[in-house]
Amino acid sequence: MANVRCLQKLIRLQKLLLPLNAQSPRQLASLQPRPLTFLLARRNYASDEKTTTNLNDFRAREEQREKERDAADEAAAKAAQKEAGTTGGTGSGGSGQQDDAKQAKVDAIRVKILDAALQHVPQHGWTRQAIVQGAEDSGYPSVIHGMFPEGGFALVSHFNGKCNAQLVASLEQKTDSGKLEVENPLDFLVQAVRQRLEMVAPYKAQWPQAMGLIAQPQNAPTALAQVLTLVDDICYYSGDRSVDFGWYTRRVGLATIMKMTELYFLQDTSPGNAQTWEFLKNRMDEAVQLQMMLSQTEGMTHTFQRSFNSAFITARNILGLGYNRN
Amino acid sequence: MQSTRSHRLLLSLTRRFLTNRTAGQASPPPLWARGAANAATEEHTTHFGFQTVRESEKEQKVHQVFEQVAQSYDMMNDALSLGIHRVWKDIFVERLGPVHGMRLLDMAGGTGDITFRYLRYLANQPNPKQRLSHVTVSDINQHMLDVGEERAKRLGLTADKLPNSTIAWKCADAEKLPFESDSYTAYTIAFGVRNVTRVDKVLAEAYRVLQPGGRFMCLEFSHLTNETMQWLYDQYSFQLIPPMGQLLAGQWQAYQYLVESIRRFPKQEQFKQMIQEAGFEQVSYENLTFGMVSIHSGFKL
Repeated sequence: MANVRCLQKLIRLQKLLLPLNAQSPRQLASLQPRPLTFLLARRNYASDEKTTTNLNDFRAREEQREKERDAADEAAAKAAQKEAGTTGGTGSGGSGQQDDAKQAKVDAIRVKILDAALQHVPQHGWTRQAIVQGAEDSGYPSVIHGMFPEGGFALVSHFNGKCNAQLVASLEQKTDSGKLEVENPLDFLVQAVRQRLEMVAPYKAQWPQAMGLIAQPQNAPTALAQVLTLVDDICYYSGDRSVDFGWYTRRVGLATIMKMTELYFLQDTSPGNAQTWEFLKNRMDEAVQLQMMLSQTEGMTHTFQRSFNSAFITARNILGLGYNRN
Repeated sequence: MQSTRSHRLLLSLTRRFLTNRTAGQASPPPLWARGAANAATEEHTTHFGFQTVRESEKEQKVHQVFEQVAQSYDMMNDALSLGIHRVWKDIFVERLGPVHGMRLLDMAGGTGDITFRYLRYLANQPNPKQRLSHVTVSDINQHMLDVGEERAKRLGLTADKLPNSTIAWKCADAEKLPFESDSYTAYTIAFGVRNVTRVDKVLAEAYRVLQPGGRFMCLEFSHLTNETMQWLYDQYSFQLIPPMGQLLAGQWQAYQYLVESIRRFPKQEQFKQMIQEAGFEQVSYENLTFGMVSIHSGFKL
């Protein structure tokens, strides 16, 4: 409320100052609203072609750079490996390696327990109880559940991470690590989302509980980052190499559709969840229509796009999407 | 008559307070000089509050303190922490999350605060498979154990009234545990680590008796994270706790020792380091009430 009042005051002030500042009539004229046709006329085909060629240049340049960077990284890794082999890992490097080995051991135990716990989810839900059962199955005393202070959410995020990795691996295989062109990107997206949702099917009865855990404020950052990383991967393998604002809309749009379908899926009692897949298809078609509409009115929406773009980047940085993928 | 007695008490209290303060001003051993000066002497020294004593003496002295305060221990805890110690212990047991079928060693568990919470927690949980749980309450001081056993009887928390739990009371030294290796799934020590002579030995023994996957948990007074709060806390502990000890339990020295030993205990990060050195993994700690106490946790993997 205070913000709105402040804005109103500012506008009033601007109105007052305008005649004082505008000394020459030419300046005043430039402040007057221009007819919209002027804007539309300026954006002709020639400039559009120019931007696309520019984009293509930019893309080629970036890909080249990425390749160079990958090569350099590989060389550095090889050199480091050689060095470690010859010196036998002495000094600080050695202790670092030891820490890494310890962490790897702890992580392996965590994964083992959580994997075993997944079997107990249908009976106990996404709870500490399931983790306890899993721990006992893998030969650890029950108190080890203390390693997962976040309780059931540890299990949910482990399951999501596992399924995401599985889906990405299958997509990678389908497209030969993104080298193969996808014939029908829309169908590819639908299939990917469907494949991902089908992984949840065995836990359908308990999935509302998991979604509840995901939505809790303390868990939301991790869960959101997981979803956004997944849609990013799906978009990448579907052949999306855009560097413009469409990069964001496509990902946010896909994430929204995925979550909507997930919610629909919970209520779906049709055989083989047929209605869910119908729903998914319809939402995808709508999204395509919406995108077409937006691209046709690009000039109008340009400023919105820009402000939304910056807001999204800020939000992404706050959320810290450079999180650990598992 | 009444007034003269209270006058006399007040006088003796003031005298005591004054002498203690002057003694305190004269005697605190410079901490930084301690190691160097004592390195030459034939026996290792340790601290007893702010005093430096020989290692062989500390155990005796601590024993004496707790023998004196055993009877009034629980009442004093309530009075000095304004009852918050109950909340701390509740949170501690909640973090441990007892599960049926576990074997707990409650070290320094004298009057049974942790054990009773553990047993009640288990009793509130469904136990469809009728699994047996066990707890061993262990303390170096038989007087404290006696008080604990008495309380257990009064509260009806004895083995014959609890269907799936067994309780054992055992007088033992945390540095030389008379238990077999790999025999427990959890080891808790609440407000006890501070009083032992060699913390590293205690941690090593804890590591030994725990089976792989077992959990070590420690609840202990620690250091506040906020300077201002630390100052306030210092004022409270040095100015109020010993006089209250004198008034309520008739023990000035014991409570003087209490606050001094809290200050001498390592900080959270340092203690975490010590636990890691003993071999525990995934070590973490949680501060309660601005760090007045902290819960340290580690796993034997």
